[in-house]
Amino acid sequence: MKYLDLDIKTINQKLKNKEIKPIDLVNEAFAKIEVNNLNCFITLNKEEAIKQALKLENQEVDNILFGLPIAIKDNIITKDLRTTAASHILDDFIPVYDATVISKIKEKNMIIIGKTNMDEFAMGSTGETSYFGNTLNPWDKTSVPGGSSSGSASCVAARITPFALGTDTGGSIRQPSSFCGVVGLKPTYGRVSRYGIIAFASSLDQAGPITRNVYENALLLNVISGHDNHDLTSSYEEVKDYTSLIGKDVSSLKIAVPNYYMSEVIDKKVKQAVLEVIEILKKEGCQVDFVDIDYLQYAIPLYQIIALSEASSNLARYDGVRYGLKIDNFNNIDELYKNTRSIGFGNEVKRRIMIGSYILSGENANVYYYKALKLRKIMTDNLKKCFNQYDLIIGPTNTDVAYKLGVKQDDALKSFYDDLLTIPVNMAGLPALSLPIGFKNNLPIGMHIIGNYFQEEIIYQLASFIEKTLNLNLNAKEVK
Amino acid sequence: MKPTIGIEVHVELKSNAKVFSLSKNNFNDAVNSNINVIDLGYPGVLPILNKGVIDDALKACLALNFKINRLMHFDRKNYFYPDLPKGYQITQQDTPIGYDGYVEISNKKIYLERMHIEEDTCKSLHTTDTLLNFNRAGVPLLEIVTKPCISSGKEAIEYLEKLRETLLYLGISDVKIEEGSMRCDVNVSVSNTDALGTKVEVKNIGSISNVGVAIDYEIQRQQQLLANDEVIVEQTRRFDDKTKTTVLMRYKETGNDYRYFPEPDIPYVYIDDQWLNEIKNSMPILTDELKSKYTNLGLNTNNIKTIISNKDVCNFLESVIEKVNPNIAANLLTGDILSYLNKNYIKLEESKLTKNNFIKLVELLDKKTISSKQGKEVINILMETGKDVLDIVKENNMEQISDDNLVLDIVTKVINNNPDSIKDFKEGKDRAVKYLMGQIMKDSKGQVNPALANQLLISELNKR
Repeated sequence: MKYLDLDIKTINQKLKNKEIKPIDLVNEAFAKIEVNNLNCFITLNKEEAIKQALKLENQEVDNILFGLPIAIKDNIITKDLRTTAASHILDDFIPVYDATVISKIKEKNMIIIGKTNMDEFAMGSTGETSYFGNTLNPWDKTSVPGGSSSGSASCVAARITPFALGTDTGGSIRQPSSFCGVVGLKPTYGRVSRYGIIAFASSLDQAGPITRNVYENALLLNVISGHDNHDLTSSYEEVKDYTSLIGKDVSSLKIAVPNYYMSEVIDKKVKQAVLEVIEILKKEGCQVDFVDIDYLQYAIPLYQIIALSEASSNLARYDGVRYGLKIDNFNNIDELYKNTRSIGFGNEVKRRIMIGSYILSGENANVYYYKALKLRKIMTDNLKKCFNQYDLIIGPTNTDVAYKLGVKQDDALKSFYDDLLTIPVNMAGLPALSLPIGFKNNLPIGMHIIGNYFQEEIIYQLASFIEKTLNLNLNAKEVK
Repeated sequence: MKPTIGIEVHVELKSNAKVFSLSKNNFNDAVNSNINVIDLGYPGVLPILNKGVIDDALKACLALNFKINRLMHFDRKNYFYPDLPKGYQITQQDTPIGYDGYVEISNKKIYLERMHIEEDTCKSLHTTDTLLNFNRAGVPLLEIVTKPCISSGKEAIEYLEKLRETLLYLGISDVKIEEGSMRCDVNVSVSNTDALGTKVEVKNIGSISNVGVAIDYEIQRQQQLLANDEVIVEQTRRFDDKTKTTVLMRYKETGNDYRYFPEPDIPYVYIDDQWLNEIKNSMPILTDELKSKYTNLGLNTNNIKTIISNKDVCNFLESVIEKVNPNIAANLLTGDILSYLNKNYIKLEESKLTKNNFIKLVELLDKKTISSKQGKEVINILMETGKDVLDIVKENNMEQISDDNLVLDIVTKVINNNPDSIKDFKEGKDRAVKYLMGQIMKDSKGQVNPALANQLLISELNKR
């Protein structure tokens, strides 16, 4: 019996009836990891997970996520469990504290199976910049799983764990979710605490759930949301039950489709899939309008300026002095820094640190950085204006489906273009979800649903309707 | 040749917690005991913001006449150094909490360009290895920068003493330059034209008086260079305490690039009217106000100066001043009490002097129950033993006889025993009174109230 293919309500019932025990789920997850060979994980938490599962046998099943396996992106700090951000510079780093999101899932007695593979320091959109080798896409092992949350998306797509946490700075939850045919949400900036998330670009980073379906995504968001005294940018906005509108009538929803999201750079089949969904929605009674939102076209340069500037500062702490990799043959402090960082960081990370440092240097800060902040505000205001009239914005998550491993490694700029449609959301701090809506050449197509601030429940409302209507078979293994 | 001087002061605030973490703010505890993951710059950590630090900075803003940036943010100053755990310092570059302030010294205003909040680095100890003490990492600092408007070492000293006094009386810092809770860097330039000269920075000055020494030395050095037509190069020098000179550390690298940008982990802080009013209402009395109050009470200038420069003495005086004769109290505190404290290297609050005892002592002196000479003896016993003043006076038979009848008895007795003196008095000889007073004091073993005795003596003599 494959318990992990069952829906969460059923598993929860079986746990309550003592038909199955948490250890059965844990054993199944680890068995699947061995069979699948997707390189989803950097570090497995096998011993601890088994210990915890056995301990939970004597405890009351007090919530719907009790005893369920979860995979954690390796840039989320886990106490006593190695956390590397997929970088050589942290490959021996064992944290002494838990990220706030980890404390929250531990409170619900979820079981951490392991730390998932990712692009180094979340810099990349293919999973290929990982120091620990690339992750495979369970739909096609010659295609990229997307990134940077490659392991988390791949692991849920392969049904190794029903839940995973990812992080999203420019699309790092939504793009791999789209490529792997799973549901991934980037919450509103400030909805989920960033305390214990290894910072890439602090004003953009947000952790979020990656799951097999919409309902389970909302369940995990319920758990990880909330204000945190450790994070001054976390919001006091009340945490809702994000499942509350799932299954509710969608006919009164007003939906905008930015023309920018349906331009000629979008693959025809992807566009077609989105248009088909739009037809369904119209038939259901939704108002769907194509709209122009200016300044979205500046997303990539904005991202390169703001994200890389912040990154150059955030990654300064990896200097070999206090933790992580230290290259010992040095004659002075500058050599310690230089040797440690030269050997510790991969090429993509170094490239981004250099660009970020350059942008902030001297007069460049005014020419690039402060100008970018102004543009960011204008783009944000334009998106806000759109939400004065519409409940949601939709479009494709990506310009295309997953492409072959290796093709973008030689082009430092190309990988940014994967995030063309996802970056504006991070710039504005809005919540957005990627939902599988079809296939091209057996590879999943993702739809992007963007909501207004702190209205994740409306995103889920529409997503669940589309999910139910399309009723796709999204089990990668069975399709093969 | 005109010198121009600007001073940058860093002051450690004595908040309970550090500025961006909940670690205790106490450098002197065991090495690396007041630290947490935030102070160490661990992966994933975020700063929090200690509101008390902003309160303290606002107090300083008000006391130093700064305008306040009501909407302010923090910035990151990026550079690599082992004492800087995150690879950046959180500071305020664009929106310092205070700007355009001033301090008044005796003959002019010292204009202050800005004051901002920032975090201290950790403390390096260079042995064969470099050791780091993170107790200091994240300790809140105020940086206060003057405009280049100081013209001599003497003015600099006066400014720094006034600044130190003000911050001390605000209760926000220990401001001990010797212990590093106040640090001064000075910029000195000399020019023989109207344009400003080349800036030379002097660091590592260990006392306020040495700031004056360093400045005067540097002015003289630069003037000499200019007189010899030599070029002054922008540079950083350090003060050498032994030779009382300044020594070249390094020439200024051009374009030191700190890649400042707004700290994304700390949202903008808005200081609203309510917050500012709360601070205004919580301001302690500052030294200018105290000085005019004491002047109005008739205290002499020396006493006022001594009291202000000894904050614990001043606090003590303030706590009793409503209940005692302020002049007698000030004389006692600045005289015998302070010299006792200094001799024994203790602070007032560590001594055995209590407010109650002090009030009683001043009263006894005020009513002339004991003489000022006796007062000295009482203080010595009091400071050593802490005994009740009235007991001390009794045990040592110091109570003066101030009862009119008792004094009159003695006076009458002495006059009767010295008929010759009455004659001398009638003949207008001054020494008669002095002689008789001596006899009265002798007869009473010195315990008679001399003023009263004198008054009664003269009136009795006139009756004869």
